[in-house]
Amino acid sequence: MNMDFILQQILNGVSLGGVYALEAVGFGIIFNILKFSNFSHGAVLTICAYIGFFISTHIVSQMIPALVITAVLGGFIAVLLEKLVFRPIRIKKRPLTYFFVTSITVMMIVQKTFSALWGRYYFPYPEMMKSAVTSFGELVVSKIYLMMLAITAIVLLGLTIFLKKTKMGIAIRAASSDSWAPALMGVDTDFIISLTFFIAGILAGITGFFLGMTYTVTPFIGELMLKGIIAAIIGGMGSLGGGVIAGILLGITESIIVAKVGASVTPILIYLSIFVLLLVRPQGISGKLYAVKA
Amino acid sequence: MMFYARVLEITLLYTIFVIWIYPLTGLTGLFSLGQGAFIVLGAYTAAISYLKFGFNPVIAIIFAVLLGIAVGALIGLPTLRLRKDYFLLITFGFSEMMRGLLLWTAQLTGGAMGIAGIPKYVRLPTISISVLVILLFMSNLKKTRFGKNCIAIKDDELAASAIGINVFSHKMKVFMLSAAVSAYAGALYAFNIMFIEPNLFNWIESAKLIIIVFVGGLNSLTGAFLTSVIYYTFGEVFRFANVWRDVILGFIVILVILFREKGLFGNWEFSITKIFRFLIHRLPTSKEGK
Repeated sequence: MNMDFILQQILNGVSLGGVYALEAVGFGIIFNILKFSNFSHGAVLTICAYIGFFISTHIVSQMIPALVITAVLGGFIAVLLEKLVFRPIRIKKRPLTYFFVTSITVMMIVQKTFSALWGRYYFPYPEMMKSAVTSFGELVVSKIYLMMLAITAIVLLGLTIFLKKTKMGIAIRAASSDSWAPALMGVDTDFIISLTFFIAGILAGITGFFLGMTYTVTPFIGELMLKGIIAAIIGGMGSLGGGVIAGILLGITESIIVAKVGASVTPILIYLSIFVLLLVRPQGISGKLYAVKA
Repeated sequence: MMFYARVLEITLLYTIFVIWIYPLTGLTGLFSLGQGAFIVLGAYTAAISYLKFGFNPVIAIIFAVLLGIAVGALIGLPTLRLRKDYFLLITFGFSEMMRGLLLWTAQLTGGAMGIAGIPKYVRLPTISISVLVILLFMSNLKKTRFGKNCIAIKDDELAASAIGINVFSHKMKVFMLSAAVSAYAGALYAFNIMFIEPNLFNWIESAKLIIIVFVGGLNSLTGAFLTSVIYYTFGEVFRFANVWRDVILGFIVILVILFREKGLFGNWEFSITKIFRFLIHRLPTSKEGK
């Protein structure tokens, strides 16, 4: 195992891990504010992978405009979902489990609808920059991976600035720690929750586009959300920064294991290590532990 | 009539899967997306110990149950102490891990090709007796102190532990029990359907089991039973609409959650005598089919 091999794997892993980090943040931001595991994130991701395919083959062939359109549409789909399904449940004050069951039902509806309609076909994204590679000395990097890495970094940076500096971002963070007190301070909680879903939808759109680009678009692409969920667990549920770090670590570990041991053992090793992690350090990397409150 | 007997067989088989979501989700309030993995585990254990090691089918089924309990304990130990979301997500991961494991140990399990040529040992009588026993057990479990403790845990974990209920041990017992019965049902599945493969029960099938319980009503065992019977019979009889039935189910669930909080059947239950009467009326028609 020489140095170049490790560097190569780390580079691949980081760009893959960036996608996991985006998923983890999209999953975590909803978990923070509504405290449920949002499986409908995978549904938005699936829809966006199809939308991204449609846009990049029929409307604009450049990657960046197609990505932006997909991301914004993803945001609006997520908001629509929130307004149609999650808001009525919230208004009627149903228990948390109802949110979860609804979100998993939405995921099932989307997956089954797409497999009933287009499950038979392959949808490969157009060859935007797929074949282009750059090399730094011995390292060979596909340009698409570099683009993915750069976009992920920009998006995460922008999101951090938004959450830390702007008024709406601060309102989101306030609503994550307590949903009731900010409402007393004059924060429009309904709007903030819609905004959070919009951000999560944008993240799902970007992830769907990237995943569709690296793999092929199938109805089951939403299941890749599992990696983001794992990153969120390792990072400590509800901590966005921990999720990002864990996502990148997961990407690196995965690409090294795949290259050294084989693709079939990878899931087994990763889940085993998560069991051990939860036994030893259930609060994850960030050390933020959510207790069940009365 | 062969066809209807077959439909009844498959329906009842799937009903065992659904009924065992009930103590987990309906009584204790835990969500497991890994029940499918226990079913697959049971099916593979039974099939392999019968085909590769030549054990008697009964012993093969016992092996399946024991392995199910062991793996259930292994998964419950780290996760059930934490917030319920961890349990949910880890069982989700477990079902993916199970698939990876089956594909990896292809020499033993046949990998993606699955295992074919399992003899048909389990027929309608075995399955219906199993359903009956499990239903009776469950309806009594709900009335015992243990069952009532579980309901308390579902409603408010903190309050339950404050009045001296050991939350972790109750959750652990329920989860191990459900793992055992899922593995048993999986073994029955292997000896009835005669072919198993790694993708038999992925996480979305496990999610569907939970969803069916929700449609029927979280507090109603009868509701879970009837909904599952209707859903799976519908699927077998209307094969042409098969791809859309999950979509229809999904929309029904969302409507139920929005407009009928307690599920279709609410708190309504059959009494045991009524269940007996119901089954006595039912049995002769199924005997004719053979």
